[in-house]
Amino acid sequence: MAGKATPLPEAPSPGAGAPGPSLRALPSRNGSIRVTGLEHTYAAAGRVTKALEDIRLDIAPGRFVVIVGPSGCGKSSLLMMLAGLVAPTAGRIVCGGRALTAPDPDLVGVVFQEASLYPWLTAQENVEFPLSLRRVPRAERTQRARDKLALVGLAGFEDRYPHELSGGMKQRVSIARGLVQNPPVLLLDEPFAALDEQTRISMGDELLRIWEQTGKTVVFVTHSLTEAAYLADQIVVMSARPGRIVDRVEVDLPRPRTYAMMGTPRFAELRQRIWEQIRSQADG
Amino acid sequence: MADTAVRRPAGAAPALRIAPRTLRVLLGFCVLVAWEVLPRSGAIPTLFLPSLSDTLAALADGAPEYGRHLLFTLRAIAVSMAVACGLGIGAGLLIGSVARLRRIVQPLASGLYAVPLVILYPLFTAWFGIGPQSKIVFASLYGLLPCLLGTIAGVQTIDRQYLLVARSLRATRRQTVLRVLLPAAIPTVLTSLRIGGALVIVGVVVAEMLTSAEGIGYLITRSRTLLDSPRVFAGILLVVAMVFAFDGLVRLLDHRTRHWRLSTRSGDGGA
Ligand SMILES: Nc1ncnc2c1ncn2[C@@H]1O[C@H](COP(=O)(O)OP(=O)(O)O)[C@@H](O)[C@H]1O
Ligand SMILES: [Mg+2]
Repeated sequence: MAGKATPLPEAPSPGAGAPGPSLRALPSRNGSIRVTGLEHTYAAAGRVTKALEDIRLDIAPGRFVVIVGPSGCGKSSLLMMLAGLVAPTAGRIVCGGRALTAPDPDLVGVVFQEASLYPWLTAQENVEFPLSLRRVPRAERTQRARDKLALVGLAGFEDRYPHELSGGMKQRVSIARGLVQNPPVLLLDEPFAALDEQTRISMGDELLRIWEQTGKTVVFVTHSLTEAAYLADQIVVMSARPGRIVDRVEVDLPRPRTYAMMGTPRFAELRQRIWEQIRSQADG
Repeated sequence: MADTAVRRPAGAAPALRIAPRTLRVLLGFCVLVAWEVLPRSGAIPTLFLPSLSDTLAALADGAPEYGRHLLFTLRAIAVSMAVACGLGIGAGLLIGSVARLRRIVQPLASGLYAVPLVILYPLFTAWFGIGPQSKIVFASLYGLLPCLLGTIAGVQTIDRQYLLVARSLRATRRQTVLRVLLPAAIPTVLTSLRIGGALVIVGVVVAEMLTSAEGIGYLITRSRTLLDSPRVFAGILLVVAMVFAFDGLVRLLDHRTRHWRLSTRSGDGGA
């Protein structure tokens, strides 16, 4: 497989000037992510599926990276591996300067595709849940969860149960839960896929606001080209069978992003480029 | 608050349709009236069915004796219930979450559940005597199986996403079982508790009827051999009351956990 000593070609992303290994032993862990030679093969019921092949990522702290690709191209698998929930078949993930081999909620917060809130807990209790697992004192727990709920715009909804919240609100709670341990990295797997168009756009705006306020490194998975171009600093385009990276696109649209930008020629160009990459791979 | 106003729209509904609750009460009332009128009018011989008032009189008459035996029965039920539900739910959580264990235990338990355990009762009396022990062992085993099987099934049907979240937060095994598996399994566990608990009551009463010198079951059998129908029915009435009380308790638990059920996908359309 990919030997460790093999020098990897430089990533075409300009913002990804990763510091050398000597600078890595910083006291507070930053949100850099470096993935090299990542591969994953599922072996289930005698069938072997190569889900990911030769994945290389180099994400500088504080960047908003969107992974886009058709359904089944391995986006979720990749995110699960970045979360330490699935062990890669080959390759290496270095996060915050250390090899990532297991889930580390202090380093990586995860927001899952479907609302994965616990229905027996209120919004407040759901956000407190990660802290209570760590035996954070009650007063501190309450305060931190309250702050995060306020950050996602849900002040006043603390005592609602998930079934009393709309789909968008549930995902806000999930985001608050992902942020409550203050990890430098936030991973989101198609968090708005189940929402209607309007809610989806406003949730995108909310996420950008939260990102700008907190300075997290965000890795956001979606199959929507529009969503990708609207949110990202950099778009990583993936293709299926086996899942691999076929393009990396720097999004040079100014921030803050606005709805009106979706109508600009630049936006259309970006979408066009991603679409062509995906389509040419599917045809060939 | 506005919230409570929204939750009770039934109060504002037109009074033409009869609420199910009212119908239920009405039906119960009809049964009681029939129970009083049919034997009294001679439509049913009082030996087969003594009237409600005669039954209540027999109950009041033998109140101290009934009280003593009821207490005895309740004690056996409480112990058996604790064993059956505690052990059944505890072991069910463990077995349900360990795949290898489940594959061994689940077929065995469901096979055993199909056996009418009452045929083993004579054995139990031989092993544990005719005192409360044999009853408790029998009733516990009787109620344990549905609790165990229900909990195992409950753990199986838990949304895997819940476990993934726990894993991403580095929950320990203990935390995962107590704070995710247990609450997530509660709706199924309650269903099995309802069945298991009812079987515990049945188990204790049947055991008392077969071999015992104490308890409501014993009183029913004794009165029957004496052809004292009002006292037989007084005993039956007490058993029914116990079952109803238990059911009410489970209902209360059920109500307190309504949030789970409301948000499970299958229950989304529920009232
Ligand atoms: N647990 C699994 N076992 C076997 N195959 C899997 C498993 N999870 C995903 N796959 C396969 O791996 C590929 C990538 O899946 P996934 O990562 O979910 O893609 P995406 O999120 O982009 O839709 C798919 O072909 C899928 O069928
Ligand atoms: Mg996916």
